[in-house]
Amino acid sequence: MNEEEKSIQNLTAYKPHLETISKKGIALIGVLLLFILFGVVCLYTQVAKGHVVTGMRDNVVWGLYIVNFIFFIGISYAGALISGILHLLRVPWRTPIIRMAEMITVISTMIGPSYILLCIGRLDRLPNIALFGRIQSPIIWDVIAITTYLSGSIIFLYLAMIRDMALLRDNPVKTAKWRNPIYKFLSVRYNDTTKQKELLNVSTDLLSIVIIPLAILVHSVLAWIFGMTLRPGWHSTIFAPYFVVAAVYSGTGVLIMVMWIFRKVYHLEAQITKIHFNYLGIIMIILGALYGYFTFSEYLTSWYGSIKWDMEVLFRLFSPGEYLIEFIFAVFIGVLVPIIIVTVPKFRNINSIAFAATIAVFALWVKRYLIIIPTLESPLLPIHDLRPEYVHYSATWVEWGLTFAGIAMFILLFYLFSKFVPIIPVVRTGEEKDYSRLRKVVFEKQMKKAIKENKKGDTITTGIVILLMLVASSGAMAQDDTQVQTVLKLEYFHVDSLQSLTGTLLSRQEGRYQPLEGMEINFKLMQGGTEKSIGSALTNEKGKVAMAIPEEVLATGGDKGLYTFSASFMGKDKYGKSSGATTMKPLKMEMSFFQKEQEKMADLKAFEQDKDGKWVPVEGLEVQFYVPRTFSLLKVGKGKISGGAASLEFPTHIPGNALGYLTLMAKVEDNEVYGNVEVSGTINWGKPLPPVKVIKRGLGDTDAPLWMVYTLIVLLSLVWFHYMYVIYTVFRIRHLGKQ
Amino acid sequence: MIYLNIKQRLIPFFSNKDSCFNSHYCPVILPVVNVYTISFGDLKSRITTLMKSRSSNRRNFLKLGIAAGATALIASGGNVLSAISNPGNGETGEKIKVLTPEGKLVEVDKGHACCQPATNVEARQGLPDKKMVMVIDLAKCRNAKKCLEGCQKMHFLPPHMDWIKFYLLRDSPEMAPYWFPKPCLHCNNPPCVKVCPVGATFKRNDGIVLIDNERCIGCKFCMAACPYSSRVFNWEEPMIQKKLKASVYSPETGSPPRIGTVSKCDFCPDMVRKGELPSCVTSCPNGVYYYGDRNEDAVTNGTETVRFSELLESRAAYRFMEELGTEPSVYYLPAVDRAFEYQVGFEGLSDEEIALYKKEARITE
Repeated sequence: MNEEEKSIQNLTAYKPHLETISKKGIALIGVLLLFILFGVVCLYTQVAKGHVVTGMRDNVVWGLYIVNFIFFIGISYAGALISGILHLLRVPWRTPIIRMAEMITVISTMIGPSYILLCIGRLDRLPNIALFGRIQSPIIWDVIAITTYLSGSIIFLYLAMIRDMALLRDNPVKTAKWRNPIYKFLSVRYNDTTKQKELLNVSTDLLSIVIIPLAILVHSVLAWIFGMTLRPGWHSTIFAPYFVVAAVYSGTGVLIMVMWIFRKVYHLEAQITKIHFNYLGIIMIILGALYGYFTFSEYLTSWYGSIKWDMEVLFRLFSPGEYLIEFIFAVFIGVLVPIIIVTVPKFRNINSIAFAATIAVFALWVKRYLIIIPTLESPLLPIHDLRPEYVHYSATWVEWGLTFAGIAMFILLFYLFSKFVPIIPVVRTGEEKDYSRLRKVVFEKQMKKAIKENKKGDTITTGIVILLMLVASSGAMAQDDTQVQTVLKLEYFHVDSLQSLTGTLLSRQEGRYQPLEGMEINFKLMQGGTEKSIGSALTNEKGKVAMAIPEEVLATGGDKGLYTFSASFMGKDKYGKSSGATTMKPLKMEMSFFQKEQEKMADLKAFEQDKDGKWVPVEGLEVQFYVPRTFSLLKVGKGKISGGAASLEFPTHIPGNALGYLTLMAKVEDNEVYGNVEVSGTINWGKPLPPVKVIKRGLGDTDAPLWMVYTLIVLLSLVWFHYMYVIYTVFRIRHLGKQ
Repeated sequence: MIYLNIKQRLIPFFSNKDSCFNSHYCPVILPVVNVYTISFGDLKSRITTLMKSRSSNRRNFLKLGIAAGATALIASGGNVLSAISNPGNGETGEKIKVLTPEGKLVEVDKGHACCQPATNVEARQGLPDKKMVMVIDLAKCRNAKKCLEGCQKMHFLPPHMDWIKFYLLRDSPEMAPYWFPKPCLHCNNPPCVKVCPVGATFKRNDGIVLIDNERCIGCKFCMAACPYSSRVFNWEEPMIQKKLKASVYSPETGSPPRIGTVSKCDFCPDMVRKGELPSCVTSCPNGVYYYGDRNEDAVTNGTETVRFSELLESRAAYRFMEELGTEPSVYYLPAVDRAFEYQVGFEGLSDEEIALYKKEARITE
């Protein structure tokens, strides 16, 4: 029997599954759609109410969604690694299973990332990833890696399908005939000529070489999301290979499960035989042993090193009240049971290997849970929170609903796909058998209906809308007839050349002082029993009000050199009136700087008016020196004015600006005679600010380090160059078919 | 010998009640410009240009409370606002008098006034030539949590959104427990900023780590990456007043908050622009928090101003979990010669919370 005949025979064996759908199949689709529908309800709830409906909180910021994400990306390994490696090694028994493996890859790589989307608080801002993406972030690595990986997997799956498509084109399906043009289109005029065969083989080989390192990188990147943080239990160099091994382990497990199911459902006992289960079982337990070895190494290292925080996580995992049972299941049962089942010949059969695979897959899901949750529950600082949901994570119905919806979606896509494309490659199924049970029942209507229903699924909406309660602050204030006492404090300030009065108006209620805002204060000069108005102004929200003293007022000479000012508040509404007064004597201060040999000095001169209005030097006045800083004044010294002068060694150790300019301020504070007087000067004697070190292209900057950019460009162009070449080959195959 | 006669020009601040929700939302943006009158004529223009290119270390920003002389300015508020877009060049030559936070009246150029929250670009750059630092004196803390109260009030946070967290730490059972308030540590090597996929959280030139809640996609990676549990998430639609909701968003204020995004202590950059201290510093009854600019070598807790370097030196300051290499901007002074027994910190707490604190500090009695 030649190859072509074999292929035709294989097709006749599988074709009924393409052309018919059983009642059970329709029921399965219905159940899956129900799960998916419930998932839609959950998603709607989460979008409408926010992430508060999940079990995630400030400490456990990631929950089931991330667990599922890792899980699905993990099982996607089945296709990439199993089919890639088996293909490259030309393993003869690979043919019946590689289609399933590749389908697992494509479908789970589509479902996995949707869990990351569920984890994102603002789905509406997803375009930001394209607009502002920073390649320093492992999330961006992940986005790039997964899209590249998905593209590659789809191309790989398609390449392996071309021959089958050609066969289906030549032997069209009899139900749901709309598929035939699709088959024809996808077959790219493949006629199995020598040239076409060669092109297809080369590109398949090429792609399987590319997809293996790519798959390893994808899961490493996923591990690095956790490994790059400073969290105990995550920050581990072993994480990337550990994730890769765990992923292939679970991927193989899922592949065995899928094989078992399709073997039963589609009666493919002839194609998928015990050999496949045995070989895959052995691959699985080798991976399982590796996974066990990595696990042991990981926990032994952190236990032996016994860093405080690592121990906290370990303690959680080993505590019976917390995660001990899950830990035993994920690490001991999940490794030992499959190994025992596969290695002991007595236990080894198709069903038991499928059971072992199921155990491994579940154990690996639990392991992902144990990687995420206990670490997030053990931050470096204790979780000081009285709300139990902030301390311990427990998934809500929304998260479970979406988890099951994802699994249902996986099964549904798989099922529908198996109705479109032969689940086992019909061309070159390396085995020879007779097929007696050929069923030719046509259920065209039912199949169409099933596909129709599938499309209806997402039109249903739920009506849960939560209206926000806005806290309205009522401005109702109790009317009080009794007058409120007020206090008005008046101060005199003399800053450089500007002289002013500052009033502070406070209300006094039950012994507490509160600033009064928007009150009018009148300022007056008192002179020999007469009052002269200077002006009036409103207080600000701190109850402060200021008024500049006009030059001409101070030119009057005052009352023997003394000036008395008053401020008054006439009272408003319930606030009683009040007034304040201050008396002062003008003080003139000047600051200058001089350098004598090595000494840098600030020189202060102070004058006051004598009775005749002449400016004379001040004697014995305390003065404080400050350096103004952003929020306050930094005291640098004090001095006493004698003979109208005081000096201070300039504080050269205080930083100035970039050129060393530093402002020095001399102040007379709350003086009974002179009020508040200050004068300041600036000179470049301060410590210059060191030039700003501009670090660009750091991990925290907008632009990435150059090596990172180059690595990414090189890697991406390498991979995409191969993709492009493969796509080009497909077009060439099509072109050759024309001739 | 060089002799300089300098006049300072300071920046006034407008509190335009109509367009701003409150003064918190109307930070001042402008850097200060020093104009130097120098006796050497031709040097003048050169130095002026130089000084203009760098903002000075002078107490830059003033809070405006307008006296009578400036009432005209309020009326012409529109012109003043338009001058903002051109910081440093908006000088009109016309002087106005403004009130400083200390209550002094000073003269400034009319052009230097504004009432706009910092734009996104400005908020991402940070204040020039500054490096904000905080020093927390553990010896004075008694877990009064007034800082958190002030913080929540100022940032309009819901009751359970704690930007400052409090721990009762005990390094080992033989040692004494001490209270440990923890804002965001504004690391110089921030793990959170590194991992952000969209640059929604960023490190500014002035050392402050901020979040742009209008860019954040809510992936929470930064929360997982922060070893200090400093970040919190808006799990549901924030309960805020309508007026606040309608206010202009700025990363410097972090408000109005946005659902599905991350927030945290922001070191109050809007207050720094105004030359005012963050609310935690001013609300603390014991002066635990010192805040300031490392480049100025000064920190203040509102009542006393000390040299930053001297304080670290004399009190043997340390940074929390230095071994992580995150290089925090927050320094702690060890709880030596404590002002309060640690039990004082239990005052006013529920029994449940006291029990939790005791459990964390492994206090058995």
